[in-house]
Amino acid sequence: MQDRPTAIELLEIVAKFLEHELAPASTGSRRFQALVAANVMRIVQREIQLEEAHLGEEVGALAALLERPHPASGTLEELRRSAQSLNQELCERIRAGELDSESARARTVEVLRRIVLNKLAIANPRYL
Amino acid sequence: MNDAQVEANQMIERVKAFIAEQGRFKNVELENFKRMPGGTSREIWSFDALMTGAESTSRRSLVLRLDPAGSRIESSRRQEFQVMRAAHREGVPVPEMFWLCEDPSVLGASFFIMERVEGETIARKLLRDEAYAHARQVVIPQMAEALAKFHAIDPARHGFELLPSPGKDPARFWIMYCEEIYRRYTLDPHPTFELALRWMSEHVPPPPRRLSIIHGDYRVGNIIFGPEGVRAVIDFEIAHLGDPLEDLGWFCMRAWRSGQDNKAVCGLTDREVLYDAYEKASGIALDRQAMRFWEVYGNLRWGVFTMIHARTYLDGGVANVELASIGRRTAECEIEILNLIG
Repeated sequence: MQDRPTAIELLEIVAKFLEHELAPASTGSRRFQALVAANVMRIVQREIQLEEAHLGEEVGALAALLERPHPASGTLEELRRSAQSLNQELCERIRAGELDSESARARTVEVLRRIVLNKLAIANPRYL
Repeated sequence: MNDAQVEANQMIERVKAFIAEQGRFKNVELENFKRMPGGTSREIWSFDALMTGAESTSRRSLVLRLDPAGSRIESSRRQEFQVMRAAHREGVPVPEMFWLCEDPSVLGASFFIMERVEGETIARKLLRDEAYAHARQVVIPQMAEALAKFHAIDPARHGFELLPSPGKDPARFWIMYCEEIYRRYTLDPHPTFELALRWMSEHVPPPPRRLSIIHGDYRVGNIIFGPEGVRAVIDFEIAHLGDPLEDLGWFCMRAWRSGQDNKAVCGLTDREVLYDAYEKASGIALDRQAMRFWEVYGNLRWGVFTMIHARTYLDGGVANVELASIGRRTAECEIEILNLIG
C-alpha cells in the first residue's frame, strides 16, 4: 500500500500546475501543449477510476452479442485480454457479413454505442 | 540586434528582391513585416509592399505563406497556388494570388505571396462574440454559395486533370482508401469502423456527373470573416478532385461545432439551411441518403487519421503531447458514426 497522495491526487496537482502555472507563463505552442497535457492528466484520472467497471460492462455486452459464455471475472489484465479478443471476433464477424440482418445490425449498434459512450466518459466527457 | 531580427531582416531583403524580379519593379519597399500567430504547419508573414514600376507606385497588403524548412511537399504548394488562383478568377471569394516560389535557395522552402484579406479567422469568436451576431446568420448560406461556385469550376479548363483524383467513382475509392489506412494503422480492433466500412459499401451513392475540385477541409475555421460575413475562403492545401458532396459532408462534422451540437453545420445552422442554399446556388438536388454517406465518410476518415497521429508518437517517439493525445479522440468519430448509421 502506497502512502498518500494517491495516484489520482498526484495527477490532480500535476494538472493544476500545468493549467494554472505553466500555461499562463507560456505563449503560443508551449501554452497550448501545457493545456493539452493538463487534459491528458484528467483522462488518466478518469481511467484509473472507471477502467475496471467499463471493461466488465464491455466484456459482458460483447459476450452477450456474440452469444459467448460470459468470461468469469478475473484480474484487470485478464479483463483487458477478454475485451481485446471479443472485439477482434466482433470485427471478424462484421467483416464476414454475419451481422448484416436488420435486427443483428441494430443490436450491434446498441452494444457499440454503450461501449463508445464509456470510452468518451474517460477520453472526453464533453462529447457525451 | 538579436538573431531573430537579423533573420527577419535577411528575409525582408530576399522577399524584396524576389518581388522586384517577379513584377519587374524598379524598387520595392516592405513595411510592417511581421509573423502572424497560428500556422502550425507553415509560417505566415504579413506586410505591406510599395512597388515602384516604370510609371507608377502601387501599394499592396500581402501575406506570405512559407513551408517548413526542408519540406518536400513543393508540388502541393504549386497545386494550392493554382487552385486558389483559378477560384479567384472564377469569382469565388478567395485572396488574389500573386507569386509562387519553389526555389528553396530564396527562403529555405517553397512559399507563395497573396493578397491580405483583413478579418477574423477564429471560429469560436464567430459563434460567441456580439460583433458577429449578423455574421452568424449569413455565414453558412454565403459559404454554401461560395462552395457551389467553386465546385462549378471545370477542372479541365484550368489544367487540373493532374490534381489527386479518386477516379470516376469517388465513393468506392474512398471506402477502399479508408479500409486500407484503417487496417494498416490500427493497433486494436475497432468494430465501429468495421461497421462503418460495411454500411458504406451497402450505401454507395451514385457517382457525380463530373468530378469537381474539392476543397477538402471546408468549415468555418478556414474562412476569413467580418461582421458582415464571409470575406475569403482559405487553406486549399488538400484540394483534390472528387464528388462535391464530400465537402458538404465534411462541413457538417461534429468536430467543427465548438460544442453547439444542436446546430449541425459548424454550430451555426441546421443541415437543411446549408443544403437549401447549396441547392439554390448550384442547381444540384442533394440526395439526403448520399449526404449521410459522405458524413459517415468524413468521420471515418478523421477517425483513421486520429490513429495515424497517435502512431507518430507510438512508433516514431515524436514527443508531442497533442499528437499523442489525439489517439484518444478516435471515440469522438466512433460515436458520430454510430449516431449516423444507427
